[in-house]
Amino acid sequence: MSKRRRLALIFSAFVGLASAMLPLHVDAQKTERGKVIGTKLMCMCGCGQILRECNHINCPSSAPMIKEVDQHVASGEADDLIIQDFIQEYGEKVLSAPPSTGFNSIAWYIPGVAFALGLGIVLTIIRMWRQRDVHRLASASAAPIPPATLDSEVKNVQLERARQQADQETED
Amino acid sequence: MDLFGSYALLLAFALAIYAIVGGIAAIITRRPLLIKSARNAGFAVCALIWLGFGSLVYLFFTDNFAMSYVAEHSNRNLGNLYKFSALWSGQQGSLLFWSFLLSIYVFSALFSYRGKHPELMPYVGVVLASVQLFFLTLNNFVASPFAVLALPGAGGVLHLASQADGHGLNPLLQYPEMVIHPPVLYSGYTGFTIPFAFAMAALIGRYPGEKWIHLTRKWTMIAWCFQSAGILLGAHWAYAVLGWGGYWAWDPVENASLMPWLTGTAFLHSVMMQEKRGMMRVWNVWLVFTTFLLVIFGTFLTRSGVVSSVHAFAQSSIGTWFVGFLIVIISACLIAFLKNRDYLRSDNQLDSMISRESSFLFNNLILLVACVAVLSGTLFPVLSEAIRGTKISVGPPFFNRVNIPIAMFLLFLTGVGPLLAWRKTSMESLRRNFGWPLLAGVVAAIVAVAFGLREFYVTLCLMLSAFVTFTVFSEFYRGARVISARAGSNLFSSAAQLAMRNTRRYGGYVIHFGMVLVFIGISGTAFNQDKQMDMAPGSVMGIGPYTLHLQNFDSDQQANYSSERATIDVDKGGKSVMMLYPQRRFYPSNEESGTMVAISSTLKEDLYVVYAGRSPDSNLPVIHAYLNPLVKWIWLGGLVVVLGTILALLPNRQAVMVMSPSTERSPVLGGDGRQPARASISARSQLPKD
Repeated sequence: MSKRRRLALIFSAFVGLASAMLPLHVDAQKTERGKVIGTKLMCMCGCGQILRECNHINCPSSAPMIKEVDQHVASGEADDLIIQDFIQEYGEKVLSAPPSTGFNSIAWYIPGVAFALGLGIVLTIIRMWRQRDVHRLASASAAPIPPATLDSEVKNVQLERARQQADQETED
Repeated sequence: MDLFGSYALLLAFALAIYAIVGGIAAIITRRPLLIKSARNAGFAVCALIWLGFGSLVYLFFTDNFAMSYVAEHSNRNLGNLYKFSALWSGQQGSLLFWSFLLSIYVFSALFSYRGKHPELMPYVGVVLASVQLFFLTLNNFVASPFAVLALPGAGGVLHLASQADGHGLNPLLQYPEMVIHPPVLYSGYTGFTIPFAFAMAALIGRYPGEKWIHLTRKWTMIAWCFQSAGILLGAHWAYAVLGWGGYWAWDPVENASLMPWLTGTAFLHSVMMQEKRGMMRVWNVWLVFTTFLLVIFGTFLTRSGVVSSVHAFAQSSIGTWFVGFLIVIISACLIAFLKNRDYLRSDNQLDSMISRESSFLFNNLILLVACVAVLSGTLFPVLSEAIRGTKISVGPPFFNRVNIPIAMFLLFLTGVGPLLAWRKTSMESLRRNFGWPLLAGVVAAIVAVAFGLREFYVTLCLMLSAFVTFTVFSEFYRGARVISARAGSNLFSSAAQLAMRNTRRYGGYVIHFGMVLVFIGISGTAFNQDKQMDMAPGSVMGIGPYTLHLQNFDSDQQANYSSERATIDVDKGGKSVMMLYPQRRFYPSNEESGTMVAISSTLKEDLYVVYAGRSPDSNLPVIHAYLNPLVKWIWLGGLVVVLGTILALLPNRQAVMVMSPSTERSPVLGGDGRQPARASISARSQLPKD
């Protein structure tokens, strides 16, 4: 037996052994369109990954699903139709994001509503606090200057306090 | 020895009850002896948990397969490193590990403040012991890792049994990062218990002033730092082990770790308003409460099986316990707040809309909206199933679409916030501070577009990253220039001195810079490429500038697994630049396979090669190659964030005036005509060594 043939035999035996050892089967997404559709669908094995990214070991779902997408693409079906086919087969949970219609649209609205609500609250708070500050300034300017403030010792204490406050407020 | 840990945990449980009851009695009676006794009980609880944990470590390292947990998660051939990490690979062990880490925090807090803050610490001790009691209840009665194996004998009587070998550890967990990631992340989760305990204690005990905020700041930062590092280590583990080419899948368990991080980040910012201006007391207390609630909620998500995730533990009834605990915490928070809300009253005033205060308000708003977006997306499938009876999926496309604009706004505020002054920022100051950073951002965007970048969010991200980076460096530069002029030192050492004088401020800037690196790294995702091919030895696959030549396959037999390895020669521009060896491993103890991805990582891009299995058509090995730009920036950014946090945790070094001999020529000379030796106050300041 020639060296090359022996090597080929050893390699075949090794591949056979490895096949038995590693029972995983994977399939590549064939087209770019198929890849895009693959990102709109979830793998149904329960791994929680989108179809295109699932490489879950021994995944029973991703390979047949990817193949199915490629078959649809090869037959020239439109993307929407392909996705509809998958929804019919697996239900809405096959979609990687909730549809923006009906009840599921709530999922899309929640962050926006939370932002609008939060923004409203923040702006109201800012307005409220600003008004307080205006009132404080108004009452401070209307109040007569107590004679004690003219005393240099008291002035120094106040100055020191103001310094400390300035230090504290400008530290960070 | 088998039952030693079990007894230690039972005793810890009993002592935790005593720490609570004794602590409450001490608060009521104010008897010093009782206060000390309750505190010592707290110490003893921690020590007993350590003994329990140590006992489990011993059982793993002695291959004690009479213990159900050890038999289920280890085997004789498992390496020592993984025998250690197997401790937290299952529900029971990870809950004990949780108690263990919590006890380290509790011990540190009780020990650090022993004899200090007598008005506050008894309350803190009671809250901490209550949290410990919950986890000890789980450790002892719900999910004990010390259950022994037993087989039914004649008449249905159970007899102790033992296995010759264990089932082994899940292959996905047999990776060095899995030894580090869970402890780091759990340290983040458990660490948030300390600020929660202090907030609750200050509220119930009506502890005056902002002292509790000062006390908890470093604890919160430590927990936040661990949480940040834990999240990124988890992302790196997912990237290196799971073999799907990504690092973040918006999985419910990943989201569970992100949510308390978001509220914790909001707290670290808004807490400054309370410290500086005495503002937002109610808000801060609720941010701490919410962060802790999200920690427990995240644990519930991971362990109850309520949401499906590859990272989650098996479905179990333990979720009910967490729901109960959540209800207890929410009730306690509400009651404590309603009873003592007048204590939190503050005279909030805002001088100007354009101020540091308002930027913090917006920062908090954005972080909270991000948290709501993640929470709602994570729970929407459950909600949909409960209301409509049909489960839907909320996957990465949803989270990316919702969170990317939020993240951009946050990045913008990261740059804006530090440039605004407290109280009020003048127009002149705005012009002075924002001019160059804005210009840097615009230039970055123009350059990016000129180089052909057309993705809106990526361009925006690069523009904002340049803006933030410029603000950070200009802050360092301005301060360092002043020190340099005064002390005559170079700019770098001046910048270091500057950072050490106000570690919190400049540590914060370093963290911001780290986050910019993370954002830049994430933006690289827009340019990911991948290619998959059935490859026989000798075949070639091209991806980006690289050409992959599959040379051969070989196999290897290790004690715990056998592997098949592909040898791939990578060419770039016709030159061989590296060899990559992606592997598939088979673990006979649990009959599972795993991947070992080969990654060549540079600052520009990662070449990521997976030996993905065999093609059902050709039976040839399938090689999946990814070209992921800028991923390394994420891990570098994480490192910078950690370094920044460490800097922020260091105490400030104060500039001091020192007496030193003057070198100036005196106008009055001594009798001998020489310069008289005299001491003068030098304008130079020195930093003390400690």
